[in-house]
Amino acid sequence: MPDKKTELLPSKEELFELVVESSEDFAIFTLDRSGIVTSWNRGAERLFGYTEAEIQGCSSELIFTSEDRASGVPAEELSNASANGRGADERWHQRKNGSRFWASGLMMPLKSGAGGFFKITRDRTEQHQAAQRLRENEQRFRLLATSIPQLVFLTRPDGSRTWPSPQWIVFTGVSFDRSLGFGWLEAIHPDDRDLTQRAWSEAQKKGEYYIEHRVRREADREYLWHQTRAKPIEGENSGSSDWVGTMTDINDLRALQSRQHVLMAELQHRTRNLLSVVQSIANQTIHSSTSLESFGTQFGNRLRALSRVQSLLARVEDQVIDLHAVVMGELSAHSDVEMDSSKIKVIGPAVALPPSAAQALGLALHELATNAVKYGALAQPTGKLEVTWDVKATKPTAEVALLWRESGVSMPSVPPKRSGYGRELIERALPYQLGAKTWLEFEPDGVRCAIVVPIPTESMHG
Amino acid sequence: MANTPTPYETWKGRCLLVVEDDYLIAADLAASLESLGVEVIGPAGSVDEALKLVENAGDRLDGAVLDINLRNERVYPVADVLTAHGIPFVFTTGYDASVVPSAYAAAPRCEKPVDKVQLFRCLARRESQK
Repeated sequence: MPDKKTELLPSKEELFELVVESSEDFAIFTLDRSGIVTSWNRGAERLFGYTEAEIQGCSSELIFTSEDRASGVPAEELSNASANGRGADERWHQRKNGSRFWASGLMMPLKSGAGGFFKITRDRTEQHQAAQRLRENEQRFRLLATSIPQLVFLTRPDGSRTWPSPQWIVFTGVSFDRSLGFGWLEAIHPDDRDLTQRAWSEAQKKGEYYIEHRVRREADREYLWHQTRAKPIEGENSGSSDWVGTMTDINDLRALQSRQHVLMAELQHRTRNLLSVVQSIANQTIHSSTSLESFGTQFGNRLRALSRVQSLLARVEDQVIDLHAVVMGELSAHSDVEMDSSKIKVIGPAVALPPSAAQALGLALHELATNAVKYGALAQPTGKLEVTWDVKATKPTAEVALLWRESGVSMPSVPPKRSGYGRELIERALPYQLGAKTWLEFEPDGVRCAIVVPIPTESMHG
Repeated sequence: MANTPTPYETWKGRCLLVVEDDYLIAADLAASLESLGVEVIGPAGSVDEALKLVENAGDRLDGAVLDINLRNERVYPVADVLTAHGIPFVFTTGYDASVVPSAYAAAPRCEKPVDKVQLFRCLARRESQK
């Protein structure tokens, strides 16, 4: 029995009509049991492009895509709605003009009258596409975050971690759950933890996190240097205040850097030492020079001998020099010397010299060669020169015995001076600097010089 | 000013140990010190040799010039002995200061190639600190 109160309210039928008629954004329509359209509101006209007159009496299959029609989706929807009392419809639909939109709708069976179905649906294309983009972005992020060789993480701006990448978990052995918040700090070297945390308060001011610190590798419990950077995530869809960060292994780089520091110091040391050697050669040459001109020639030649050994040094990687290269360098430096094997013989096994030995020997050989070219075997047609050496392996040091032997030389009637730079280098510098034993004699048919140099056993080839 | 002795004059007739492993540098330094009237002990090319010379020289030693890098060793044990005896010394080196351990950072350093005036000034400063 309707009471007074309900009589004052509009009827349900009227309300329904108004809702249906005024709904421009919602397509609301009814179907009979077989799916033939029986009513069609203005929203449906707007959405699908068919007027009520056009579509009434037609199958609702019209609004499905051809693929869905082919696979029986329309009938399935009807039977689902009958069986379950309602059926959701989230799919692409087709307008009269053939264009498509993403529909989100609901179908329910009608219980009164002849039965049939009621369906309400709307266009959710934009939302659908946005959601899909977001899903794709997320997929892309995961793909990146889990495939790149860096350890990736998501974090709050204060450093509290919200997501560690699988690589982080594998590398550090700190599980997903244990890494959350500040649990990840356990994988940071204890000495670096303070700095690591302090950098997070800096980061909030600068809008970027940056630190180099040591991160423990689970496999061998070694701490490896990493460079960690993080920045706030920017973009319309993020909506979060999360930051994304990466940790890059820079251990090799750090090792190279410190090696470079050592090399730089070593280079500086060598250069300064070399300058001192040049200074001393200049002083020595000044003492023995009778004119500026002779100083110029001699000093120039000695500098070139020094520079030949230096360039040999620069070329070898393991910082040892082959004796053969030093001997040949000094002999062939005199351009007027023909490397004729009937005149010059150079015979000896491969011997690697440490740099200090190479420099001292190079300078001594330079003086021997210069004298041979000026007065000795290489100045006279009958003169011959043999440079031979052998290695005596003893522990802990081996010995190289080198013999410089000139023959077929007619020596001057006045024997050469017993002093001179060459003699000083051979008789004093080599013993002082290399612990060498040396002999230098002027025999009737030419100069003989023997040099026995101890060398570290490991610098021998083979 | 005329009465102030030059650094060279202060060292005339006094006794300096030279430790340097490169013969050419050692001989040149020794020769130039000798030409200034300094009595040179050495040169020594290794720590062992230098320690022996310090021991033999006893009280005669007035100072030392020490190359830091001697082939495969560092000269610091010699510096320790000299410090214990209160004998002033100067390091000569091609390395820059960062390579010198902090325990020896206070000792004066002459960079190579060595300038003799600077060398004597360093020794004098070291002496006046005693």
